[in-house]
Amino acid sequence: MCDSCGCGLSPIRTIDVNQRLLASNAAQAEHNRTHLAGRKILAINLMGTPGAGKTALLEVTIARWREYRRILVIEGDQATDRDSARIRAAGATARQVETGLGCHLDARQIHDALHHLDLRDGDLLFIENVGNLVCPALFDLGERLRAVVTSPTEGADKPLKYPPMFRAAHLVVLNKCDLLPHVPFNLDEWTEYVRAINPHARIIETSAFRGDGVGEWLAAIDDLRQSFCVGLSA
Amino acid sequence: MHELSLARDLMGAIERTLDRSNARVVHVSVSVGSAAGIVPESLRFAFRVVCEGTRADGAELSVTTIAARSRCADCGIVFEFDGLLGQCPGCGRLGGELLSGDEMILRTIEVADV
Repeated sequence: MCDSCGCGLSPIRTIDVNQRLLASNAAQAEHNRTHLAGRKILAINLMGTPGAGKTALLEVTIARWREYRRILVIEGDQATDRDSARIRAAGATARQVETGLGCHLDARQIHDALHHLDLRDGDLLFIENVGNLVCPALFDLGERLRAVVTSPTEGADKPLKYPPMFRAAHLVVLNKCDLLPHVPFNLDEWTEYVRAINPHARIIETSAFRGDGVGEWLAAIDDLRQSFCVGLSA
Repeated sequence: MHELSLARDLMGAIERTLDRSNARVVHVSVSVGSAAGIVPESLRFAFRVVCEGTRADGAELSVTTIAARSRCADCGIVFEFDGLLGQCPGCGRLGGELLSGDEMILRTIEVADV
């Protein structure tokens, strides 16, 4: 209550906070990252447009690698566990996260999902984010690697339209490259736009459907996995 | 609509700052980098919704947008820009390496003690 003039209004005071937003997500993500590093588990946040073929790319990855290494997948979708069923059918372990009204996964959801997975040292963990080129770019999940999957039917200017997503990626995958002869998509233009946004990302063309470029995709993950392991022992 | 998640996060940060005091929130100010991908109007709307029925019900949210900075990948010039993507004023090349502009910071909370 105001003491000076009796106006009945409380005085207003200003508190300087100067704190980053999403600090609690960042702290949770760091906790996830430390926990996964302790188990030598490489986590890859797989983002991209709905329908670009993220799940198809995971299916073919699992088909090629399931004899040699354990692959775990956390599947994020607004609704249904259809993608988890596809991952299990391909031969890997999956945990579905239904985000409901949420348009992205966050670090807390990944933490909870990790508690439901049988983690073993050296596992490879894919986190398939909600298909969306906007929101997932903002939320660190505790991953080591971020990959973005897009396809020729979406047009060559996608990187310019969604800069934060492409800026955040270590790997940029153009899937469905078997469609290139059939759609008006200028590959040079697309590549130039990816480079403009992100000069350092590795760019890979794949067709999960036909198998093109899958070897290069696996090699890229292996390269990054090796530098991750070297980083751990350093 | 990641602004809804941001608004919830903002509310959490406000609650942690005020802790057990009875202070009522009247005004909140945040600053966001222009390249962060935040739509100020959406954030204000989401914040209004998240605040309903809380000590911040009816509080105003000011969002200050800060220009981003990039270094051109071709000519190396560092330049400021508004929006998600810049264009080098020297050579016209788009994008470049983002040096700043993706920050999101809770600056101040104005409260009235009850």
